[in-house]
Amino acid sequence: MTEQSAQPDPAEPVALTEPPSDKGVSRRRFFGTAAGTAVAGALVGAGGTAAALSAETRPTVATAAGDVDIDLNQAVPYFDQPHQAGISTTPQRHAVYATFTLADAATKTDLQTLLARWTAAIGQLTQGKTIGQVEPVRPDAVGGDTGEAYGLFPASLTVTVGLGPGVFTDRFGLASFRPKALAELPRMPGDFLEPGLTGGDLSVQACADDPQVAYHAVHNLARMAATVAQTHWMVLGFGRASAGPGQQTPRNLMGFKDGTRNVTGDAEFDRFVWTDDGDWFAGGTYQIARKIRITMETWDVDRISDQQNVFGRTKDEGAPLGAKAEHDTPDFAATDGDGKPVISPYSHMAMAAPENNNGTKILRRAYNYTDGLNSQGLLDAGLMFIAYMNDPQHFVDLQSKLGKFDLLNEYIRHIGSAVFAIPPAPKTGSYLAQALFE
Amino acid sequence: MSPRKPLPTSIRRTVRYRALGAGAAITLAVTLAGCASSAPTAPTGGPASAPVGGDGLAPVSNGAAQVALSLTADGGGTCTLDHTSAPAGPVTFTVTNVSATGITEVELQSDLKILGEKENLAPGLPASTFTVTLGGGSYNLYCPGAATELVPFTVTGDAAPSPTGSTQQLLAKGATDYAAWVVSQTEEMQTSVKALASAIDSGDLAKAKTAYAQSRPFYEKIESDVEGFVLPGFKLDDSAGSLDYRIDMRASSLDDKVGWMGYHAIERDLFSTGKITATTKKYATDLVANVGKLLEVVKTLDYKPEDLANGAASLLEEVQSNKITGEEEEFSHLDLMDFAYNIEGAKQAFAYLQPGLEKVDASLAEQVAAEFKKVDASLAAYRDDTALGGYLSWTKANREKHSRQLSQTVLALQQPLAKIAEKVATAK
Repeated sequence: MTEQSAQPDPAEPVALTEPPSDKGVSRRRFFGTAAGTAVAGALVGAGGTAAALSAETRPTVATAAGDVDIDLNQAVPYFDQPHQAGISTTPQRHAVYATFTLADAATKTDLQTLLARWTAAIGQLTQGKTIGQVEPVRPDAVGGDTGEAYGLFPASLTVTVGLGPGVFTDRFGLASFRPKALAELPRMPGDFLEPGLTGGDLSVQACADDPQVAYHAVHNLARMAATVAQTHWMVLGFGRASAGPGQQTPRNLMGFKDGTRNVTGDAEFDRFVWTDDGDWFAGGTYQIARKIRITMETWDVDRISDQQNVFGRTKDEGAPLGAKAEHDTPDFAATDGDGKPVISPYSHMAMAAPENNNGTKILRRAYNYTDGLNSQGLLDAGLMFIAYMNDPQHFVDLQSKLGKFDLLNEYIRHIGSAVFAIPPAPKTGSYLAQALFE
Repeated sequence: MSPRKPLPTSIRRTVRYRALGAGAAITLAVTLAGCASSAPTAPTGGPASAPVGGDGLAPVSNGAAQVALSLTADGGGTCTLDHTSAPAGPVTFTVTNVSATGITEVELQSDLKILGEKENLAPGLPASTFTVTLGGGSYNLYCPGAATELVPFTVTGDAAPSPTGSTQQLLAKGATDYAAWVVSQTEEMQTSVKALASAIDSGDLAKAKTAYAQSRPFYEKIESDVEGFVLPGFKLDDSAGSLDYRIDMRASSLDDKVGWMGYHAIERDLFSTGKITATTKKYATDLVANVGKLLEVVKTLDYKPEDLANGAASLLEEVQSNKITGEEEEFSHLDLMDFAYNIEGAKQAFAYLQPGLEKVDASLAEQVAAEFKKVDASLAAYRDDTALGGYLSWTKANREKHSRQLSQTVLALQQPLAKIAEKVATAK
């Protein structure tokens, strides 16, 4: 991975020289409430200006009010990158996450063809193009592309494909290719996993600044898969609940900033995210997906002092308790007048802090989700937690601890779970994980 | 068609444009293909590249002229031949997708008839070949998604003898045989509804329920053709003249002006209220009369090959929309039996097309046949010879438990089956 520091990671997003439709509009933007002059100043003050302008970011710009001026005409490159897009890519606003189960009768060739078709399709979709005719010329033909993103812009779409433990088996003759750390996750304390929301042989994470663009991607990939793989579970995410460099830290549905101390910068990505296996998986990573339901109504009536105690941070600023600003380093040793710790050792932040976990970090790329109402008429919502790391054991260690003691457990339930190996990005003219089939 | 709540069953199901004959359909396609570069494919913006090919006649080896076709992403997508002509006789096309993510299939066409094709041509996959025997004349390679979609290809030498039309003959024969099969099913239905009416007349509830279950399969097998099931002089959207409404309406399609009638009115009395009344007997008498009218109508229907394909597709749509959901047999829960016979009807339509389809696209025919087998195997798990209708009663609890697997299996059949209509409509 020595070339990595020299090579942009991923390459700088490019604005299409021409709009992907002939509708006569060249650029479309979402404007934040404080767009315009506030933009430049906020960028400088966002902490790590260099990182904000590095190739890792999409050219989105945080404003003073935390809103983002988004250029829907941006396309994120897919081929010829060291890693798949959608991991170090600055988080887009919306996500659709789906897992698939390979059909009983699916063969190695079926899997190969599906990955090749998906790769080609993702290459098209991320450029804002369709994947075949929307309106075929022959009256009896069925459209190649379902069409709902026709005329929309790329919206920084990324589609990240993962291969689950079930792929690397004797069934497909692929057991010898299994990435060394890939295994089904063990049962962990606090698991309330539902079978219908757990596992999968393939995963697709589609993220975009336009929800319809993200949905269109998964819709069409699922359609392509139908005879080879069946949909297993799917979550629609919104309001990115993790920050990339230069982004204002967003909030989860509990109202707290989430992901303040995320993995950032090339050095941290190399250390915590990308694998350095000397084989086909070099430059890959592992994806862990957890659907976490929040008992919203219960949380909403919790008093503010307890809420802040649960997270270990203030609600408004997001500062560690006892500190002033969000990015201040938490002082886990500080005590109050009665000798009690200012930050409870069982608070979510203290439990998850790298200082208390052998320095380990995982890249969090979460989104909020809602499924409407549950059967009791209560809000059915939570966090679609998606994380990337170079060893799933890092998550297992962390969650085994959090699942036992985290004060947050009273208000959350881990109901869905899956782990996938994320191959490196394909080169032009090849497809994802092609090495497995040669 | 005027919108109406709820929609009559005949419209809710499927609309096929039978009035648009084969000739009209082809004319339309020709017109559109003439300006193929403006067809609604992927917006590319790249300059249109000329359909260039190498010079000279393709060399002959292994008994066939060898032509290489490569697809690249250059200039908005190219589709390039190494030789643009070949001598009459067998021609093998070797197709390699080098880098064209937007082109995943190619077809060899003659006047828009598909002579041969390859699909799933994503970059990185090994080259694939197809061989066709061609007479002298002009052809096109059709590469949907390329900047220039039609690439001309010339065959020198004698023109092929006038086509024996074997593929079309096979397909046409399939359509004719299918029409006869629909008539035979309707005749059996007539016998079965008479038995149902006499069981109801006898007032024997158990016997009537059995007769009901025994009569349902025939209609379920042929209900893809309901758009033709219209009494003379009535419009398609008039429930009063729709034999599909008169025979197979249900609560969700109730037209207050016309009212309850047919199978499901009887089902409601037998399975929900559990009483045979004078009204039930009237329903049964009317049903016999309407099935008699249906028999007269189906004898006049004829089908084109694509009608069979579209009909099979709409039967699967029926399965997904009304059977898996338990909507069809709301009172008797015989939905799985209906499901099985919808599948059977689709399979029959497919089987009549199969000999012709195998000549057009053998791998598609094989794939669809394999998916039918999987659906049959899935359904077999739910057989219950002790239950009325022979299948697990499709109660709410059973639906929640089993519908997902069944639905996914049918979906895997629907995807390839949806491609058949285009193939047979454009087959030479």
